[in-house]
Amino acid sequence: MAAVPALVVLFALAGLGSARFFAVPTLTRDFAAGGGSALRTSSFRVDGLKCRDTAEKAFEHLDGLQGLGRAEAFASRNEIRLTYDPSVTGPQAIREALEGPEFDAATGEIWFGRFRVIEIDGKPLPVGTGSASSGAP
Amino acid sequence: MRRTRFLFQAALVAAAAGAGLAYSRGWLLGSVEKYCPFGGLETAYAFVTNQRFTCAAGELNLALFVALLGLTFVARKAFCAWVCPVGTVSEWLGLLGERLFRAGRKEASGAPLRALEPPRSADRVLRWLRLPVLAIVLYFTYKTGELVFRGYDPYYVLFSFHGHDVRGWSYLLVAVLLAAAVAVPMAWCRYLCPLGLALWPFSAVGRLRLRRDAETCTSCRACDRACPHAILVSTAGEVRSGECTLCLACADACPAGETLTLRLKALKP
Repeated sequence: MAAVPALVVLFALAGLGSARFFAVPTLTRDFAAGGGSALRTSSFRVDGLKCRDTAEKAFEHLDGLQGLGRAEAFASRNEIRLTYDPSVTGPQAIREALEGPEFDAATGEIWFGRFRVIEIDGKPLPVGTGSASSGAP
Repeated sequence: MRRTRFLFQAALVAAAAGAGLAYSRGWLLGSVEKYCPFGGLETAYAFVTNQRFTCAAGELNLALFVALLGLTFVARKAFCAWVCPVGTVSEWLGLLGERLFRAGRKEASGAPLRALEPPRSADRVLRWLRLPVLAIVLYFTYKTGELVFRGYDPYYVLFSFHGHDVRGWSYLLVAVLLAAAVAVPMAWCRYLCPLGLALWPFSAVGRLRLRRDAETCTSCRACDRACPHAILVSTAGEVRSGECTLCLACADACPAGETLTLRLKALKP
């Protein structure tokens, strides 16, 4: 009879473990990549990135930013992987763009704080170092 | 085994509630729907055809769903009795209903009816309600690319702590479903749960089966009374029903020692 709970645990661990081995983006977008120097890829863990809709919103935040190549959003991991030209932009500018204000054309309202970057390339950002407090414009 | 299962269930309900609360308070980034294998089924078609996930569903949902199919093929619907927090809540409410509505009613065959258990003929028909539920959920989820039934999903409504898409009517609906679980044992699981139906074909051919030793069986029907899914164990040589969740309540209730035992049925070449 003990086989039943043992099997349940075994298959649960198999399910939880195997999810680590594949990653499929929720949304992908190719921005107009800057040529020139070699492109670099960084990953951003973003609080507020929950689903396809929020991934689209996050990409809208990045729309005006120069030097971006491919962007991949993984909603289930709250992660955005971005390829960019390091001679044009960098992780801090990307973070500021993600955390920046957002204009809602439907209501005419400006939203703040939809997204918060909490990790860049696996390194947690200290609390209270948001783009607003970093002195960014 | 009853205690082991209770501990499993209680731990998972606590984990789901803890994860839901932590997410709602902003302490955790992933919501409880991340751990729902039904999300894997909802997004499976989009994933296979377009290599994309639906809304907030992701790799973990899909991996858990595939693992669940594997588990079901071996250990029937053990997920329902040992893991699913909605199944646990339904079962606990059913026990409450057992005390409130114990009627001592019997069906025509003489088998006891639990609480407000519908007659067996009605039960068989009602179980097919899960088919339109499953079809509607999968169709509209794929069509819209959104998890549009969150507000109707008892797991999400109960454990997301007022998550996205949960409205006032969601609580009303879940309250009705919970009330139904008090009146009719496992009402949601037996008559409406789309995941339960999706697992049914795999469970029906599941390898781990309960066998009844007719030599030692006293035909007291304690097993029938104990089964939360109203399976007639007392007349089966081997429990083949795809609805068996291997909760082992029948074996626990059996007064005749080793009459009900688990056997792993080998695959025929």
